[in-house]
Amino acid sequence: MIDKPNDKPEYSPDQCIADQATLASWEEQLNALLEGELDDEQKQQLKVAAAQDPALARAIIEAYELQRALDAIPLQAAPDSLRRKLARIPAEHRKKTRPAWLENTRFRPAWVTALAAVPVLMFALSLRGPAEPAVTEPTAAQISQAQQELAIAFSYLEKVGRKTGQEIGTTVNNEMQQTINDNMMQTIQDQMEFNKERNA
Amino acid sequence: MSKVFRQWVSEYQDQAWSLARYLLKDAAEAEDVCQEAFVKLWNHQDSIDRDKIKAWLMKVTRNGCLDRLRRRKPSEELGEWHAAATTQEPQYGVEHQELGRWLQQAIDRLGEPYRSLVVLRDVQENSYEEVAEALELSLAQVKVYLHRARKQLREDLAEVRP
Repeated sequence: MIDKPNDKPEYSPDQCIADQATLASWEEQLNALLEGELDDEQKQQLKVAAAQDPALARAIIEAYELQRALDAIPLQAAPDSLRRKLARIPAEHRKKTRPAWLENTRFRPAWVTALAAVPVLMFALSLRGPAEPAVTEPTAAQISQAQQELAIAFSYLEKVGRKTGQEIGTTVNNEMQQTINDNMMQTIQDQMEFNKERNA
Repeated sequence: MSKVFRQWVSEYQDQAWSLARYLLKDAAEAEDVCQEAFVKLWNHQDSIDRDKIKAWLMKVTRNGCLDRLRRRKPSEELGEWHAAATTQEPQYGVEHQELGRWLQQAIDRLGEPYRSLVVLRDVQENSYEEVAEALELSLAQVKVYLHRARKQLREDLAEVRP
């Protein structure tokens, strides 16, 4: 293990500091040789030095043998079982690119339902007429039915809104939550006031 | 999109497998890690720089291996992994096989990031840039650490050579 590369002395203690410095310098040259970073002149200098220094010559030979051994290590081919698994990934994971909660209503957050309900509610309310008093007076039965429908819708949205408030707070943001709730409540309140006036 | 993905699988599956095999020494675990890495690649392909797919994949594969190694008990560290790698090279002589076996054991004894460096650079011959990207190291660190690793291997080699 060389997690702490300096915990092992590079040279025996009896070697002098000058020798260590020289060898360390050649070590750098050797690494540069392995990386192909030496020019011809530097290579020649290294050869001359190795001819006069057995330790350096041995280091070069060992580096060469190591490099040859490393080069001989084959790149291991992935087994067929892995190849089959990898080949299946696009088919098996294609569906997952679309979130499950959009596919399955059981996992769909309540705020999505609430958002989807807004245009439906707006459309339904618009069918009941504009904010100004209608030209034709609705019958009592129609008013009663509208009030019931509105009560059901309000009850539903109020229920969803509580959950929506919690979920939007964590997934979207508080500002959007407030806007959605305010718009829905305002629309509903306007319609209720309108109905009250008409009933009166 | 899946065509491009299949091309990545074709180009990099051997390298990912080889790295995982070296690091984990367990075929089943290496296979799981590779599969997980490629699934992540599939799921995140839109957000990954196309020029760095290989480095990204090697990084994810290595991280997956290191996660598993951390979860292992110390006694599980030693494996029997190298037998298959050495027996699949019948064209080499006995001496060469022994050297290869020794070298794989020596690489196995290296700590991280030295082991990954040797595998990614010297065995798989990735570029310095790719290795640096995969290991999240600077180029200078890659060079220094790689030199230390090679020096350690050379010293190990000197001990077993006549």
